[in-house]
Amino acid sequence: MTRNLSLVAAVNLAGALLCSAAFAQEIPRHAPPPAMPADVSRLPTIVLMSYGGTIASRGRPRLNVTNYGGKENKRVDPQDWVDDLPELRGVANIVIDDERPAEDAKEPASYDDQARIAKRMNELVRDPKIKGIVLTHGTNSMAETAYYLNLVVKTDKPIVLVGSQRPWTGLSGDGPRNLYDAVRVAASKEAWGKGVLHAMNQLINTARDVDKTSAYRTNTFIGVDVGALGYADPDRIVFYREPVRRHTDGSEFAGKAYPTLPQVEVAYAYREAPGYLIDAMVANGAKGIIVEGTGAGSPTASENDAIKRAQEKGVIVVATARTHGGRVQDTPRRREAKIVPGDNLKPEKARILLQLALTKTSDINEITRIFNEY
Amino acid sequence: MIRNLLLSLALIATALASAPASAQSSAGPLPKVRLFTTGGTIQSRGAHRQKLMEYSDGKVTPEQLVNDLPELKEVAQLEYMEISNVGSPSVNTEIQLRLAKEINAWLAKPESAGAVVTHGTATLEETAYFLNLVVKSDKPVVLVGAMRPFTAVSRDGPFNLYNAVRVAGSPKARGMGVMILLNDEINAARDTTKGNTYRTDTFVARDLGPLGYADSDQIVFYRKPTYRHTSKSEFDVSKLSTLPRVDITYGYQEDDGAAIDAFVAAGAKGLVLTGGDKDAIKRAQEKGVLIVSSDRKGSGRVVESEKAAAEKRVTSDNLLPMKARILLRLALTKTSDPKEIQRMFNQY
Repeated sequence: MTRNLSLVAAVNLAGALLCSAAFAQEIPRHAPPPAMPADVSRLPTIVLMSYGGTIASRGRPRLNVTNYGGKENKRVDPQDWVDDLPELRGVANIVIDDERPAEDAKEPASYDDQARIAKRMNELVRDPKIKGIVLTHGTNSMAETAYYLNLVVKTDKPIVLVGSQRPWTGLSGDGPRNLYDAVRVAASKEAWGKGVLHAMNQLINTARDVDKTSAYRTNTFIGVDVGALGYADPDRIVFYREPVRRHTDGSEFAGKAYPTLPQVEVAYAYREAPGYLIDAMVANGAKGIIVEGTGAGSPTASENDAIKRAQEKGVIVVATARTHGGRVQDTPRRREAKIVPGDNLKPEKARILLQLALTKTSDINEITRIFNEY
Repeated sequence: MIRNLLLSLALIATALASAPASAQSSAGPLPKVRLFTTGGTIQSRGAHRQKLMEYSDGKVTPEQLVNDLPELKEVAQLEYMEISNVGSPSVNTEIQLRLAKEINAWLAKPESAGAVVTHGTATLEETAYFLNLVVKSDKPVVLVGAMRPFTAVSRDGPFNLYNAVRVAGSPKARGMGVMILLNDEINAARDTTKGNTYRTDTFVARDLGPLGYADSDQIVFYRKPTYRHTSKSEFDVSKLSTLPRVDITYGYQEDDGAAIDAFVAAGAKGLVLTGGDKDAIKRAQEKGVLIVSSDRKGSGRVVESEKAAAEKRVTSDNLLPMKARILLRLALTKTSDPKEIQRMFNQY
């Protein structure tokens, strides 16, 4: 207790010094830390897990918000966040877990990394002292990782993904506030049992429905169709909704490690899109194909011919819609064509669900059930 | 005229022939749903079928509404009860209270599955939120309306009504609170507002979105509301015949508080403000008028603050002013303590 307090004080002092010196221009001066609770040891222990991302990147000069990172700019270590944001110590007892890929990794966001993070989370959530996890992630594919974790991590504890649109050094960087809010969400009782969450721009979204919708704006993430669950507002964390679809503790895929997953690819439909791409996917070993159809999920005639050829080889085909809003429905014609309706999932998320489904079954009715429930 | 009639008969026949077979395939008796009608565009007639405004050429009775849509028989055992037949600006406390009491009586019957309410769209969200706070049941209550009158080409009313009855009869819709159904979307009473004057996709829940869809293949939900409602609500209107007067003032530059003074003089017990003159607010509070701070932006919360608490102002969370008014009226039936009313605004 005494140790914790002095640690907090030291961190605050260091933060103040940092803010007034080295980072004076980049990082806003931190507010006076919130009044310390009477017993700091009663703050929830939250694991701050870094998988890097823009939020963990530096660029120069501070107006550089598009071409940051790289060899010439040192990455932000997780400890740097804690030092820059001493306010975090007012809302949680932070434990750092560095899961960044090697700096020279060929693939910046590989499935191996996803599987490793899921395995690590499944271990961490079993520790009764840990009350939640915040995972930083690059924004480009964080919605995919979030949905994967939503299906494979077995827990009721809050898991919150966070990132930023501007690097840690960027002018008016959104990272610090997002990180602070994500820790607040992970530390809140109300966040339990709501599946993997996403917190940026003061919105709390679900892993299943969140999507990046703007390349550079800080309001990029929205819950497609069904909106956010709530807000991380200055006065408190507030929820208006809970997700209905199965997730985390209620997922039949959760708690298990998946070192590899069956190969599933995505085929985009447009006028006269040729089926030979689908043939190539099958020739290269795809066990499932997600068609991102036009309108309400329609492939082209050429794609439909290729789908039939694929199905003869046992490949499962799921239809999603490139409208990125609204559901692909269960219709008699689609049923006759043995195409699984992908509900309102985006193709890259339907891909993850189909990969996991294929670890259990290749029965089309069973896979349709899975798409109706997750 | 006769040609028009023949055309519409042909259209109806086509619609019947192509109705999806999967609409109701489960065995067992159809759910018992009661339709409570209050009026609105969905029950209005225009002089000709292109008339989408100022349609005041007669009303549609509940019987005509139901007979117009024989497909309803495939999804529910439907009965109806007329509460009123007025446009929504004319829906008043008396109608709201009567409607709530009739719905509670119907849902208390073991055999009932759910209720549908027709309503004009202009204030539909107010009645929906009122019912969300005073209906004593987990059974679905669905408000439905139309943006185009009964007589218009491409009218949206029939499909809206059909879907509303499907949702009211769906076990999936239990415990979701009072819902609003137009444009295939299932929206939550609390968070939904009319966002456009004429489009058929007018109802929106800003930031939060709909709870789900009434699609052709199934009723589907993605979200469940977490704020208190219906069977978890502490408000009870069973013995009430009126509600305390609460008014709303709009905030703008150079507002000098004249409206606040006038409402207080007219007997308001509470005021919902989106700004307002500080001195006028103090004068109102000195007379025991409860003040709620809301906002005119239409999304986001008015957050709780030490300043508001010190000034004994209740903050409205993300409730729009007309919804904050409904909650404040009900709150004032129980207490006039700002702290207790703040608790209610944080929970409902």
